[in-house]
Amino acid sequence: MRPLVAVGVAAVAVGFVAAFDRGLAAALDPSTAVVTLVGLFGAVQGLRYASARRSRDRRTTDLGEPERRVRATVPGSDLDAEIARVASSSRGGYRSRSALRDRVREVAIANVARERNCSTAEAARAVESGTWTDDPTAAAFLADDAPYPLRVRLRVAVSGESRYGFGLRTAVDAIGRVEADGSGTEAGR
Amino acid sequence: MSERVDSESDAESPLRQVRREVETGRWDGVVGVALALIGVGVVARQPPLVLVGAVGVGYALHARLGEAPEATLDVTRTVSDASPDPGDEVTVTVRAHNAGDAVLPDLRLVDGVPPGLEAVDGPARVATALAPGATATFEYAVRASRGEHRWEPLRAVARDAAGSRERTTDIESASPTRIVCTPELAAGGDLPLRGLTTTYHGRVPTAVGGSGVEFHATREYRRGDPATRIDWNRRARTGELSTLELREERAATVVLLVDARESAYVAPEPDAETAVEASVGAAGQAFTALLGGGDRVGIATLGPLDCWLPPGAGSVHAARGRETLATDPALAPTPSDERFYRSLWFRRFRRRLPVDAQVLFFTPLVDDAAASLARRIDAHGHLVTVLSPDATATATTGNRLVRFERRARLRELRSAGIRAVEWGGERGGQESGERGGQESGEREGRGGAESFAVAVARATGRWSR
Repeated sequence: MRPLVAVGVAAVAVGFVAAFDRGLAAALDPSTAVVTLVGLFGAVQGLRYASARRSRDRRTTDLGEPERRVRATVPGSDLDAEIARVASSSRGGYRSRSALRDRVREVAIANVARERNCSTAEAARAVESGTWTDDPTAAAFLADDAPYPLRVRLRVAVSGESRYGFGLRTAVDAIGRVEADGSGTEAGR
Repeated sequence: MSERVDSESDAESPLRQVRREVETGRWDGVVGVALALIGVGVVARQPPLVLVGAVGVGYALHARLGEAPEATLDVTRTVSDASPDPGDEVTVTVRAHNAGDAVLPDLRLVDGVPPGLEAVDGPARVATALAPGATATFEYAVRASRGEHRWEPLRAVARDAAGSRERTTDIESASPTRIVCTPELAAGGDLPLRGLTTTYHGRVPTAVGGSGVEFHATREYRRGDPATRIDWNRRARTGELSTLELREERAATVVLLVDARESAYVAPEPDAETAVEASVGAAGQAFTALLGGGDRVGIATLGPLDCWLPPGAGSVHAARGRETLATDPALAPTPSDERFYRSLWFRRFRRRLPVDAQVLFFTPLVDDAAASLARRIDAHGHLVTVLSPDATATATTGNRLVRFERRARLRELRSAGIRAVEWGGERGGQESGERGGQESGEREGRGGAESFAVAVARATGRWSR
């Protein structure tokens, strides 16, 4: 870059001197080739400037939308962002993954204990062994050593979704079914 | 409250706050085009092309030399009704008068509609050009909702004629604009209270014998007992004199505690009514119902801003309560930015709470803090009833998980001996299970939303006093 700057400064200096000193101007050869070269140079530089503009955004003040009411948060929307973040990163995030899993497990245990009318410890065992639900994916998500079914493994591999995210979704759905069952029995009371 | 007035009076002297001038980059690249045209013209030996390029240079100079003018505007804002009822449309008229000497060739004005209000008719903005002394007027309508709403400064963006630079100015109107919307408190039904009462007569039946209407016990006659209270049947049977004891009905002291922390500003849909609004509405119903029943009622909020209306009775207190619920900054329609210190708040709340007060706690219960607070207050001897508007949704996995956690919290509270009622939400009838069978099928249906009064009436049947 430096040599280019030096050449540019020198060229401009020669131009200024030539404007006053006719001798120097006469020494320069205004031949067709030189004029064409200068013209080409100008055209190329111009196109460069113009195309640089294309990649730049216009900066204007963001006026916002004062007409709308402030939007309320939907409970759990921050959790969705967290789930998406944790599920997409293939490596790392181990701690957040297990924290989320614990949270789901706690809800599952509470619901199983209520639905089966058993102690929390028994419910925890049921969740650990995977017998709390019919859904093998949901069971595998919370169980210690139950593997995901082959069908799910294939599906996850094809769709590119992470196994963790799929398992979490299925587990929460399974809890929803347990929960709905539970309130059904509550109704009979 | 006092802080706001201070900042407003500070803003009186400089009504206009000029922000900054920024380059918009609108004419970026025109130099390049000009240079390219000139270059091509030189190569092709075409003087017209060189001339066209010179026009481009002219534009570049035009863009460089201009300067964004300062928007020296005087703004007056008038509202058609400063104290509307909820749901009313209020027309807002904004007049901007160019008080400076400069022409404003490109001016955009965006009004600072309060965050809790929604503009329903027309945008709250205008694009115009103003000569010195000229005035621009625009009009829009907002739909009023509960609360005191203050307008924020109008934002003016002035650009130079070429549009290459712009300057933002925030302009306060000459007199601060605000509307106060105080809803009428709907009369609620009978709200069951728990057995913690004052020494005054009222409606809450107690386990104490005395004068009342319901039979409580008999005891031996003591000299001076009124003749109407003597059990004459027994006298006829056994010849002994005995006196009837009736169940005493006493008044209770109730504090309505509304959860107004930032986490309580949640709703099942982004545009829906927040749980705070639902809580305030329900608290209003409870307030009228309890006051009408002769109980002493106070109001407090759980949130960063302090709000405390000591328990009282009478029509002045009723008016004060209505005003507190409508316009107290602690219950504003949008969350406050201040930090909330839970232990400090709890200490202050306990100090203020009369010993014989019970607490009706209105909270969406979407975090553990609310549930543990309810148990703590209960443990300190102030019987707590949790009234929880259901603000959870079922659309996504996260929504559902939070919903299940909230349910679990409600059950935990109930098993800890704290009364809990929930209302609203997408699946009404869950509480009593009357529609339990079809519930899973109509999960998305919003038709089942249950009102506060219905939920309370239904719960009352299950509760024993």
